[in-house]
Amino acid sequence: MCRLFFPDQSILGPLTDVFRRAVIPTEAGIQKRNEEVNHRDPILVLVEAEGGRCAPITFELLKAGSELSQEKGDTLCVCILGHDVSGLAEEIAWYASRVYVVDDRSLSRFQPDLHAAALYHLCLYLKPRCLVMGHTYENLEMAPKLSGRLGTDLVTDCIRVERDQGTGHLLCTKPVYGGHAQAVFELDTFPQMVLIRPKGYKPSAKDHSKGEIIPLDCRVDVSPTLSESIASVPGERINLDQAEAIVSAGRGVRNAEGIGEIKKLIGTLEKYFDRVELGASRPLVESGLLPRSRQVGQTGERVAPRLYIAVGISGSIQHLTGMVGSGKIVAVNRDRDAPIFGAADYGVVGPFEEVLPALIEGLEELS
Amino acid sequence: MKPPTLIVCLKTVPDPEGPPSSFEVHPELKKVVPSGIPPVINPYDENALETALRLKTRWGARVMAVSLSEKPMVSILRKALTVGADDLILLEDPNFQDLTSLSTARVLCAAIKKIGCYELILTGRQAVDWESGQVGLLMAEMLNIPAVNLAQAVALEEGKIIVEKLKRRGHEVVSASLPALITVSSEAGELRRPTLRAIQETRKKPVTVWKADDLGIDPRGLKKMNIRELSPAPCRARACCFLEGESAAERGRNLALKLREDRVL
Repeated sequence: MCRLFFPDQSILGPLTDVFRRAVIPTEAGIQKRNEEVNHRDPILVLVEAEGGRCAPITFELLKAGSELSQEKGDTLCVCILGHDVSGLAEEIAWYASRVYVVDDRSLSRFQPDLHAAALYHLCLYLKPRCLVMGHTYENLEMAPKLSGRLGTDLVTDCIRVERDQGTGHLLCTKPVYGGHAQAVFELDTFPQMVLIRPKGYKPSAKDHSKGEIIPLDCRVDVSPTLSESIASVPGERINLDQAEAIVSAGRGVRNAEGIGEIKKLIGTLEKYFDRVELGASRPLVESGLLPRSRQVGQTGERVAPRLYIAVGISGSIQHLTGMVGSGKIVAVNRDRDAPIFGAADYGVVGPFEEVLPALIEGLEELS
Repeated sequence: MKPPTLIVCLKTVPDPEGPPSSFEVHPELKKVVPSGIPPVINPYDENALETALRLKTRWGARVMAVSLSEKPMVSILRKALTVGADDLILLEDPNFQDLTSLSTARVLCAAIKKIGCYELILTGRQAVDWESGQVGLLMAEMLNIPAVNLAQAVALEEGKIIVEKLKRRGHEVVSASLPALITVSSEAGELRRPTLRAIQETRKKPVTVWKADDLGIDPRGLKKMNIRELSPAPCRARACCFLEGESAAERGRNLALKLREDRVL
C-alpha cells in the first residue's frame, strides 16, 4: 500500500494556513516542475460518482483520457475520492490501467476545500501530466481552488482536448463569447488541468483487461473547512440529459396554461419515446414558471435527445449551446424570423396555442 | 454591526445580447471584435453588484467597485456609481491585456490588499467573453479567505455570511466567516436602475486609477492567455423545413405527418 500523507492539524496548525503557506507556488517552483515533467507521467481522470455508481460523464472523461494517453502511449489512471467506494473501484478498474482510491469518511460528502486538498496532495504524489475532470457544479468550485494551489492554468468547459505532437502541451477547445466563437487554449504548465463538458465525448468502452486498484492510505485533514454547509435544499430530480425526447418552453409560453398544453404534448410523445421530459429556456425559468433544474442552455443542462421540440423559444445563443447536439430539432414560434428556425430541422410558424393541439391530435391518430 | 465594506469586481464585455453578426471573429488576430455593439458591464458582475447594493440597503455598507482593463472604460463603469456604489477603482494598464485567470486574480488581489480592510468580495460567476469562471475563486485562494461559488442569495450576519449556493438540483445553504468571497449567479437578480439621487451624487464620488506600478506589480510576471487558435463557432445552421398550411392548426397537423414520414417518430 502506498502511503500518502495529508497535513494533520495537530502537527501543522489550522488547515487554512497550512495549505496556503506551503502551496502558493513560486515562479521558480513552477518552472522547475515543468522541466521535471516526464513524457511517461500518467493521465489522471477524476471519477464522478452518482448514487454509488459511476456517473455517465465518467465514461466520457475516460474516452477523452484514453485518446490523450494513446497518442504517446501514456498510462491512463483514474482516481476516486470518497468513502466506501470499493464497488466503484471494481467497476472503473475495467476502464483504466490504475485506479487510485482515496477512501475517507470526510470525503463522503462533497466539500470543495477538502476535495481540493486531497487532489492537491495526490497531484504532488503522482505528478500527473494531465488532470481530466468533468465540468460539473462541484468541479466548477473545486478545480479553480486546486489550480490556485498548484499554480497551474485550468481550462473550464472544454469540448475537446488534444496534445500538441511536438511540445506535448494540451490543446483545449472551448466555446467562448457565449458560443459565438471557439478558442483553442494551449496549456504549458503541469499538471495540465481541464474540465470537460458533458456530452462532448462518446462513453469509453470497457478494456480487455482489468486495471490495478491502488488504495492510498491517507489521513485527510478534518480541521474545520473554510465554509460550512448548514442545509441542503433538494431540487426536483430531473434527468434531462437522459431523455430521448424533450419539449422545451420559452418566453412565448407565458403562463401555466401554456405549460399545461406542453405537458399534454409530452403525454402523447410518451407513446413514441421511453423518456420524454419538459425543458425550459432561461427567461422562462427566471419568470418562475419552471424550476431551474429544467433549464436547457449554457448555464443549464446540456442535452442531446433524439428529438428536441422548442416551443416559444426565440433561440438565443445561450439556449442553442445547450441543445445543438440533438438528433432532430423542431421549432414552434410565432415569429418567422426567430433565430431558432435557423437551428431547426422542422419549423412551424404560428401561435403554439393553435399548433400544439393539432399536433397532438395528429400524433394520437398516427400512434 | 459596523457598516461593512463590500468590494465588487466588474469587467466590461461586448454586449452579449447583441446579434450574432456583431461578434466578428478574427482568427488571424485571435480576437473577437465587437461591431456596432457597446461594451457593457458583464451581466453576472451586475448581479454581484446588485447583491452588494441590497446588503448596502440593509447594513449601510460601503460598496467599492473595482475593475481591471487594459484601456479606459470609465464611461461604462460609471454606471456602478449611478446605481449606488460609493467608489470606483480602475486598474488600468496596457499590460493588463489578455491575462490568464491566475494573473488577473493576482492583479485584483494586489488592489484588494491596497484597499486594505473589507468584509466581503463579490464577483460574477463568470465573464461572458472568455467564460473561464475562475478569477473569483483564485482570488480567495490567494487572499486566504473562504469562497462560495454560484450564490443566488446572501445574508450578512455578525462576522459571517449565509449564502444560498446553487447546485445542479436545488441549492445548499453555506455559512462562511468574514472576510469572504462569493461568486454570484444570475438567479440573484438583475441590477437596479439608477436613481436620480444617485446620479446627482455620482459627480462627488471618487474615481481612482491604479497602474501596475501603483500596485507594485512587475508586468513581466504577468502571463497572457495562450490562445493557439480562434475560430467562428462551428456552423449550427440546419436546413429548416417549414411546414405548409392555411392555418397554424393545419401546419401543426402537417408536422405530425411529416415527422412520421421522415421516421423521426
